[in-house]
Amino acid sequence: MAAAAKSVFEPDYGDVDRGVLSVMAPPGIRYWLWVGFLAALVLVGGATWTNQVYRGLGVTGLTQPTMWAVYITNFVFWVGIAHSGTLISAILYLFRTRWRTAVYRCAETMTVFAVTTAGLFPIVHLGRPWFFYFLAPYPNERSLQPDFRSPLVWDFFAISTYLTISSLFLFMGLIPDLANAREASSGWRRKFYGLLSLGWHGTDEQWRNFSMAYLLMAGLATPLVLSVHSVVSFDFAMAQLPGWHSTIFPPYFVAGAIFSGCAMVLTLIIPLRKIMGVENLVTAWHLDNLAKIILLTSLIMSYSYACESFLVWYAKDPIELETFYMRYYGPQGWIFWLMIFCNCVIPLLLFSPRVRRSMVTLFIISLFVNVGMWSERFVIVEGSLAASFEPSQWRYWHASFTEVTITVASFGWFLMWFSLFARFMPIVSMTELKEGLGWLRQAIRDSYSRAA
Amino acid sequence: MAEGLSRRSFIKLAATASVAALPGCEPAARKLIPYVVPDDNVIPGVPAFYATVCAECSAGCGVVARVREGRVVKLEGNPVDPISQGALCARGQAALQGLYNPDRLGAPMLRRKDGTLEAVSWDKALGLLDERLQAAAKKGANRVAYFGSRQGPTLDKLARLWLSAWGSNRLIAYEALNDEAERAAAKACFGRTDLPVYRIDQAEALVSFGADFLETWGSPVEYARQYAAFRAPRPLHGGTVVGRSAYVGPRLSMTAAKCDQWVAARPGTEGLVALGVLNVLVNQGWLPHDSGVDLEALRGLVGMYTPAAIAGRCGVEAKAIVRLGELFGQAHSAVALAGTDDPTAHIGALILNTVTGNLGRTVVFTDAGPPPPPTTGRAEVEAQVAAMKAAEVDVVVVAGANPIYAMPASAGVAEALARVPLVVWMGQVPDETAAYAGLLLPIDHPLESWHDVMPRAGNYGLGQPVMQRVFPTMALGDLLIRSARAGGLGPKELPWQDASQAVAASWQELRARYQPSQSADDFWTSVRRHGGLFLQPGTAGVKLDPAVLKTAPNLPEPAELVLAAFAHPFFFDGRGADKPWLQEIPEPVTQVVWNSWAEIHPETARQLGLTGRASQLWLSAEVDVLEIASSQGRVELPVYIAQTVRPGVIAAPLGQGHSAYGRYARGRGANLFQLLPAGALSVAVKARPTGKKQRLVSPLGKSEMMGRALVEAISVEELARGVAPRPEAPEAPEPHEFYAPFKYPVHQWGMTIDVNACTGCSACVAACYAENNVPVVGEEGVERGRIMSWIRIERFFPAQEKAGHAPLLYLMPMLCQQCDHAPCEPVCPVFAAVHTEEGLNGQIYNRCVGTRYCENNCPYKVRRFNWFAPQWPAPLDLQLNPDVTVRGAGVMEKCTFCFQRIRHAEITAKLENRPVRDGEIVPACAQSCPSKAISFGDMNEPQSAMMRRRADHRLRNYAALAELNTRPAITYLRAVYHGKGKA
Repeated sequence: MAAAAKSVFEPDYGDVDRGVLSVMAPPGIRYWLWVGFLAALVLVGGATWTNQVYRGLGVTGLTQPTMWAVYITNFVFWVGIAHSGTLISAILYLFRTRWRTAVYRCAETMTVFAVTTAGLFPIVHLGRPWFFYFLAPYPNERSLQPDFRSPLVWDFFAISTYLTISSLFLFMGLIPDLANAREASSGWRRKFYGLLSLGWHGTDEQWRNFSMAYLLMAGLATPLVLSVHSVVSFDFAMAQLPGWHSTIFPPYFVAGAIFSGCAMVLTLIIPLRKIMGVENLVTAWHLDNLAKIILLTSLIMSYSYACESFLVWYAKDPIELETFYMRYYGPQGWIFWLMIFCNCVIPLLLFSPRVRRSMVTLFIISLFVNVGMWSERFVIVEGSLAASFEPSQWRYWHASFTEVTITVASFGWFLMWFSLFARFMPIVSMTELKEGLGWLRQAIRDSYSRAA
Repeated sequence: MAEGLSRRSFIKLAATASVAALPGCEPAARKLIPYVVPDDNVIPGVPAFYATVCAECSAGCGVVARVREGRVVKLEGNPVDPISQGALCARGQAALQGLYNPDRLGAPMLRRKDGTLEAVSWDKALGLLDERLQAAAKKGANRVAYFGSRQGPTLDKLARLWLSAWGSNRLIAYEALNDEAERAAAKACFGRTDLPVYRIDQAEALVSFGADFLETWGSPVEYARQYAAFRAPRPLHGGTVVGRSAYVGPRLSMTAAKCDQWVAARPGTEGLVALGVLNVLVNQGWLPHDSGVDLEALRGLVGMYTPAAIAGRCGVEAKAIVRLGELFGQAHSAVALAGTDDPTAHIGALILNTVTGNLGRTVVFTDAGPPPPPTTGRAEVEAQVAAMKAAEVDVVVVAGANPIYAMPASAGVAEALARVPLVVWMGQVPDETAAYAGLLLPIDHPLESWHDVMPRAGNYGLGQPVMQRVFPTMALGDLLIRSARAGGLGPKELPWQDASQAVAASWQELRARYQPSQSADDFWTSVRRHGGLFLQPGTAGVKLDPAVLKTAPNLPEPAELVLAAFAHPFFFDGRGADKPWLQEIPEPVTQVVWNSWAEIHPETARQLGLTGRASQLWLSAEVDVLEIASSQGRVELPVYIAQTVRPGVIAAPLGQGHSAYGRYARGRGANLFQLLPAGALSVAVKARPTGKKQRLVSPLGKSEMMGRALVEAISVEELARGVAPRPEAPEAPEPHEFYAPFKYPVHQWGMTIDVNACTGCSACVAACYAENNVPVVGEEGVERGRIMSWIRIERFFPAQEKAGHAPLLYLMPMLCQQCDHAPCEPVCPVFAAVHTEEGLNGQIYNRCVGTRYCENNCPYKVRRFNWFAPQWPAPLDLQLNPDVTVRGAGVMEKCTFCFQRIRHAEITAKLENRPVRDGEIVPACAQSCPSKAISFGDMNEPQSAMMRRRADHRLRNYAALAELNTRPAITYLRAVYHGKGKA
């Protein structure tokens, strides 16, 4: 009853600006300790990789015939994470979805840094990383070019295109907010934001051009959401390995990418809104909608898993059947069942609105989904390789210090950039929140009445 | 890296630290030093070939050494040698690693008072030796002993002369695994001092009583070739005949696995089974009356050994013995072999061969002059050891024998050697016996010195040095001559200055005996070129001594739990264990590497209280360690639970368990000689689990083929009916081409591999290691799945439900299939995996970035990745083939049908302005194969021997995993087996 007596918070334009800009205030010691910890993780990872390059890939747990395992799993995982960002920022923009305004910047930032993280792994996993540029078509006197039949070359282009577009898209959306930050700051910050805001003054003409360019950019980015992860899935689907060679892979991978990406947005934004004190700008209503997407994609994933297994059973190819038998019941079968539990069972809780609106349950579920989706990629990448055509050559990957460290360091790397960005750049879009201020007020009213 | 940060390390670090530092870690440039005075015989880049002989076992195969720029890089069989006929086994291939072994003694060593070794000069070492010998000789006669082994006629002569110079006759020619029982049997049956020559290819049925003739028994290269002919479908008697064979023995050895039947008799009862077979033959009246044997006397000998009477004692079904009788008695020609330590088995086998009229047909005594001398008998060795123990000997020279390792502790060699004031050890890699020596002298490897061998009467192999010494060593013959001179032998008794003269003189004696019309020089040139003198011996008429039919056989009592030790196919009695290739090549049946094991039946395992599963799955696993104790001693061995051994028996390989003998041999597995009484290969033991666990390492994943079209077989009946077996896997689909098919305007290289001929001996694997600079990764590397061999022996057990409708074991070489439609090629992003215009799946090492996608997409899993930079501890690196790139870390590598040999032949043909001839190109694997299972040729040329082999065996021709539409350039010919109930 006490809550009802309190007047409902109705943010105006100034509240939005103040809320977001307050996040960008000079950080304290605890922030720098956190960033320092992440940087240390990155350094440890870098040193571990240096050791791997110096001594050879033998320091990993890779084996004959399981030539790919954790690094490629990480690659697919991070590329997958990247996808929801563009989905939320581009596709949902084109559909004029209301709830995206508060979370899209965060998702987009996550996209850029996730692609950056993913892009490390193809190089980390190479036997001779110092020759990674052989994959690029560069002019040389021997007329040597990459083999365009190889899905890895497609991958190279898909990832670099995606990184380019998503960075530009992120930057473009930032421009009006950076100008806002410029106006609110002084000293070197003012110069810094001034430089980045490219002379934005909020004139009518600038707004008109901005809107058109943003729309076009969204249009450009939209097909990438579907294409990039389809191309990543070709790394597997184009091979003839049982467990990889399947036409279901492109849609299955795209759905998985959105699933894992939305979960990662939740994992990041739930602590963030608490720490940064923007709970009134990023409301339960926003996250409720995100959870619905996770639920939908989880159902798609369950269907895909069923479909994948059904196809194998229906085709009755004995070798493929055996590979899938090993996937379910082999020595690493528990990873498959963990994946089913995390990706198919746990998200069913999201059918309950109470679960969707509780920050604690949402956060826990998002962690399960992250684990589940990592496991899924591991099961596909490693499990299929370990038990394929040649029974005499079956052999599983074993965990190694190098791979575990580099995997952990990749989280450090990602979080380090994300944390730096979240403090020094507007992590919630002021422009769009202000555009949709009515929706935001409605959301806040909703949550107040619900609490009452 | 002792000198700190090297240039190479620095560049590696620099490349790592900065992604911008693009040029990376290629090997540092080394200085090229031209010859100051060029040697007329050495043309850089052009190999020289020298004929010599292999000294790795007593088979004495002729070999040809390929020498590049003054160092031998490869051994191959000598085609004119009637024994090897151009082939060479894995042990022969690995002789190079004995020559270049990094643990070879590099200088004479003197043991100080405190037991440590001190390097001394040759002058000092030899001076000391002479001094001590003189002192010994002064004390009286027979104060000096020579503890050698089988070492060839000239060295035998020199050793004897050397002993006589010092007033002694204590000459021991010791071999742990010898042919004493066999010789005793030949002596008892026929009064012969030599051994018969077997002609397996002339037989239609074969029974082996414990003789692993494809691995270690007698002359395996020769027998593998003969056995391939025996097993090949032959048009005979108006039909197709495939030799039927059976193996009697406790373990499914590789030899047993290539037979139709395995009769798992208790160890030591093989001879009893032979008597049972004789009983069946006598009672069934299947014996010819013209064999010259008194059948009534035979009936008297074997009458009591009816199958029913002996079945229990042998641990086999009576039916099985009857079937062996049928097999032997109903064949037009047959051969029985025996290979146990028990003379009864040998006598039984010889009687079997004689009474069935096969003596002179499949078992032949020749009349080609004196036979090779026997090794010193057990009683004589024991007497000499006793003399040492009684301090009757002052100086013992140990050369080539390793009695401390190979004789049981109860023989007392250690005490005996400790009582000898000076033990002089002469050899290459210091072994267990060297630890007891006061003076250690480094001796030339046989490939560095003059020597000769006589594996059998009429077959004389000449060993000539093929390169300069690797270490400052001395030839054993030179040393003996020099020392004998110091002992007072003048030019009259000892007319030669060094071993080469001694060998030459021996060979001039042979000329005088066999080819007196030839001039001395011509003869000497000819034998050096051909690698020896190979006579065509005639058949000697022999008769069975009737007395042997009246001597009651001496039969051992079976024990409850018996250890059956067997010679390891690669280490033999332990002498191969210092060679990394031999350690790393999996033993064909168990696929275990770098270790020894106790093979036991699941039932026995249960009785012993072992809980571990049968180790047919996921072999590289923690297994229980068993403590095995006999009256002689005790050892601990990891268990290998499988049905490849009969219940109540622990089968274990000899050859490991070294406490010295170099870094590759030391501290691996257990030495079974510690359990065996002298001269025996089986012994009653007690065993208990220790509770400890140990990893038993194998490159193998699963042992079941799971119905996949990898190794296929066809029954003789199907072959006779002319129908190919119903394929278990789906047929190859109609090809759907997205890209234009490859065109092969000149050649398309292909290979045909006869699975029926392949024995699994792994000679091809060793040859590939030698030819292609394939690195060895060690036990840990294999455990982690990083074995590098480009060719491997596929080993699968037939599925339970197929027992009797399949071979006992599937064995087949698997190497890159050089697919026309290769899955590895299109996935490589940088064209490192490319299709050549001659149909090979090329691999460009310096283009490879190491994505490893090619191996992921290879269904045969035959590509190998360099996880670490390969290591060849000096001087093993001198063996590297200069024609083949040494690959660095991070690069994928694979078989390319010995591309360097193809190019060599093509360039030669071009220089001679002619097309490449069929058969001119022989990849290393095909070259080495004892059973000639592998043939190579041009698929564009239907008349090539390789293509004709496919056409001639159309019913047996298949491609591995054909349904994947990879269209391999290798096709296999199905193994042939006899359907159930017929053999």
